Amino acid sequence: MSKHAVILIALAALLTGCSGAQHRSIPVVDSGGPLTPGAMRDSRARQSGAQQQVQQTQAAAREQVATSDVQVYAVPSAPIGGIETYSPSATTEVPAIPVASMPIGNQARLTADEQLSGPVLALLTTAKQQQTGGDFNGAASSLERAQRIAPREPQVLYRLAEVRLAQGNPGQAEQLAQRGLSYSNGQPALQAGLWELIARARAQQGNTAGAEEAQRRARVNL
Amino acid sequence: MTQKSKSRSTKKPTNQRKAKTSRRWLSLFIKLSIVAVVLLAGVLVYLDAVVQEKFSGKRWTVPAKVYARPLELFAGQKLNKQDFLTELSALGYRNESSASSSGSVAVNGNTVDLHTRGFQFYEGAEPAQALRVRFSGNSIASLAQSNGRALAVARLEPLLVGGLYPAHQEDRILIRLDQTPDLLAQALIAVEDRDFYTHHGVSPKSIVRALWVNTSSGSLLQGGSTLTQQLVKNFFLTNERTLTRKATEALMSVLLELHYSKQDILEAYLNEVFLGQDGQRAVHGFGLASQYFFSQPLSELKLHQVALLVGMVKGPSYYNPRRQPERALERRNLVIDLLAEQGTVDEEHAAQAKQRPLGITKRGSLANSTYPAFMDLVKRQLREDYRDQDLTEEGLSIFTSFDPILQRKAEDMLEQTYKQLAGRKGIDEVEAAMVVSNPESGEVLALLGSRLPRYAGFNRALDAVRPIGSLVKPAVYLAALEQPSQYTLTHYIEDASFSVKSRSGKVWTPQNYDRKEHGTVFLYQGLAQSYNLSTAKLGLEMGVPHVLKTVRKLGVERDWPAYPSMLLGAGGLTPIEVADMYQTIANGGFNTPLRAIRSVLNAQGEPLGRYPYTIEQRFDAGAIYLTQEAMRRVMTEGTGRSVYNRVPSSVVLAGKTGTSNDLRDSWFAGFGQDLLAVVWMGRDDNGKTPLTGASGALQVWANFMQQAAPSSLNMTPPSNVIMVWVDAYSGLGSAEDCPGAVQMPYIRGSEPLPGESCNTPIALPEPVESVKSWIRGWLN
Repeated sequence: MSKHAVILIALAALLTGCSGAQHRSIPVVDSGGPLTPGAMRDSRARQSGAQQQVQQTQAAAREQVATSDVQVYAVPSAPIGGIETYSPSATTEVPAIPVASMPIGNQARLTADEQLSGPVLALLTTAKQQQTGGDFNGAASSLERAQRIAPREPQVLYRLAEVRLAQGNPGQAEQLAQRGLSYSNGQPALQAGLWELIARARAQQGNTAGAEEAQRRARVNL
Repeated sequence: MTQKSKSRSTKKPTNQRKAKTSRRWLSLFIKLSIVAVVLLAGVLVYLDAVVQEKFSGKRWTVPAKVYARPLELFAGQKLNKQDFLTELSALGYRNESSASSSGSVAVNGNTVDLHTRGFQFYEGAEPAQALRVRFSGNSIASLAQSNGRALAVARLEPLLVGGLYPAHQEDRILIRLDQTPDLLAQALIAVEDRDFYTHHGVSPKSIVRALWVNTSSGSLLQGGSTLTQQLVKNFFLTNERTLTRKATEALMSVLLELHYSKQDILEAYLNEVFLGQDGQRAVHGFGLASQYFFSQPLSELKLHQVALLVGMVKGPSYYNPRRQPERALERRNLVIDLLAEQGTVDEEHAAQAKQRPLGITKRGSLANSTYPAFMDLVKRQLREDYRDQDLTEEGLSIFTSFDPILQRKAEDMLEQTYKQLAGRKGIDEVEAAMVVSNPESGEVLALLGSRLPRYAGFNRALDAVRPIGSLVKPAVYLAALEQPSQYTLTHYIEDASFSVKSRSGKVWTPQNYDRKEHGTVFLYQGLAQSYNLSTAKLGLEMGVPHVLKTVRKLGVERDWPAYPSMLLGAGGLTPIEVADMYQTIANGGFNTPLRAIRSVLNAQGEPLGRYPYTIEQRFDAGAIYLTQEAMRRVMTEGTGRSVYNRVPSSVVLAGKTGTSNDLRDSWFAGFGQDLLAVVWMGRDDNGKTPLTGASGALQVWANFMQQAAPSSLNMTPPSNVIMVWVDAYSGLGSAEDCPGAVQMPYIRGSEPLPGESCNTPIALPEPVESVKSWIRGWLN
């Protein structure tokens, strides 16, 4: 009898010990995060993760539950608060005087045609802010949005080429600048800027002769 | 006797034995109890682990959501009011007298007030805002904020057009409790589990209630399950109805309640619950159900909508509002009554809600359609960069270039053309495919893989490789026009019969479609009239390999053998490959790989991937311009003329018809400035059709372009092209005021010398007054 009792007590102690530990430690799993191969859905990985963190306190576990709730995503169509990518007063409203967003220093040379307004200007301004903040992908994406709105606006292509160059893709930069040139008849200042950009893109690709040629054409156009 | 004595003699020991036996029983009982306790404890520990493991980890996998392009709004945008309202309706905007809350719209003549919902895009967050859009003709005249301040640009939320799930997959849109209308939780608790906030997972009260109702009525009317139990059942257990499962369910429910708050459990329930079946896709959770039935985000739902969804929990297929509208309505009103009874809503509000129709979106409407062909393209492009598992489980947002309004127009016009063609022998067997893209961005806007737009099988737009016939001809002429010192649009070519013998000894004898010879024609006419003889001759002059090199430069990645028949389109391409090839011509000689996807966000709304716009100049702008000019003449005076029966003649278009041998394939490919479309018609068994390129595919194309209203092709000559006056009859230099003088583009330096004077006699038949009459004369 006493033998049984001892076994019983021992078992009970063992069980409460185990279950106690279980109770206090909700397995902590990083369920968000980047798409790393398999890690998120691999149950073995999850278990080992749980074992490692068995000592976590209930409070910490609760916290984790709270953070793991982040995976309850927003309804796509619901309003999402967050970073405003442009300030309404500065960019989204149509400016009273069209502001040239020309890359080239001498803005006095710009003709009326080269001055932008409306949606394209707003998006170029947004792109500039993103570029300045180091978000080149965001900038390129905003510029492509502008390009969809004004596909034949050479300034958009100029800016896109500029971002590609900054992203380390001189090949695309040159192509986009070439496309810009095809739309910039009668805009010598812009043409010069595009040639200058082509010169830089060619130089980065090791095409010294081509770069010099482009540089020469940049001067002719100015 | 002996036995008796025996029994007697054993009497005393029997008592002892009895005591011994009972002790043994007791011991066994204790042992068994220990085992039972150990087992139960083991089960509890196990269940507890299961509950916590699943509940604290990643609770659901969510298929990627695929979005259409967001509609951009800005002054000057080409968009007609009707299309705009169609899109708003598909997005679930409510028509109200004033657009006061997000997701509402008020129309007043040409002015549309709306309150957008805002959205997280790759480029950043679009705020929810009140807008005023004024239309004029077929474009937006002005865009302003509701306070009257002008706004440069805004965009709507994109339409959700599909998801990426494997067969038999659960689909859901995850929601947080704070994003749900308060009414939802109240109604759910009122209907399904009144004691939710007070019980500990199981509710003896409701079990007794259910038992009472069920025994007194003699049937299983009421379940005693709490929301927690329902969640446990759906989340952890199978659907079998056994006592063991019931017990497990009860134990797990208690365990779940022990570890998690009521709010956590309720939120999980709202996301887990099954609310409908859509083909192979199971609609789970109120977030998706709201989109699926109302095309609206959950947060916008009103009493009558909330009541419908809550009522459906009891039997999603029994109360399916699309299949069983009357039943669903009755159930919905019952729920509303219950809420009024409990005082959750006031009587007046309830009465109003009960008067409302179900308000669910119609099947087949823009909001509730499938686009299997386009989704197929998206999937293929995504699979190059993502693993299937990431696509079906990670809750990604995929932003595409899909234009649901253009898609709808393409579908409608294909159907209409089939109606117009009805009566032609064998037309029922003719299949079709269509690719619509924007040549300036290289984006695919619409795609039809079958004459039945909802058909999800063989995607002919991507997979049907068919001889392209005369669609190859622009490549032949482009190859020629790249050599301005030898070929111009007014270069003479001979349209006369000939035969060539290949090295293998095979003789090739091309023929014109009308089996006639057309004598000496201008180069451009060979293309405009789609003459086989002159085209083949021109191609042979340059060499087949040279022409095939041009084809490859246009973007076609196929190694066709250099047979002469390739010059007339014996090579096979898929419609989307044709679109890629023509895109290079439409976009000034710059090749852009066709894209369907713009960007990808992860479930947290963070940028994951982007498919940037890339271009590569493949041809001289001048040579492309001249090719476009010849293709423009296909439409004004050549085989594509009939397009202007539908499209206003002021719209400049360029294109090419294609017909393969024995009328097996009917093709048309063409473009305006901002829209390119390729149409193929033919039989899956490659049999003969009753259609040429002009009588079949071109009719679909023309009907579509009439609806889609492309911008005129911009024919501003590039810097190396000059316009020169030439005599329409001889192609010799002329002057503006001479009779029969027409302007033709030439690459600088290749233009004919100026004519001496108008009166210079030309040693050819009688003078003509216009190009057209001259052509007619020439043809006869």
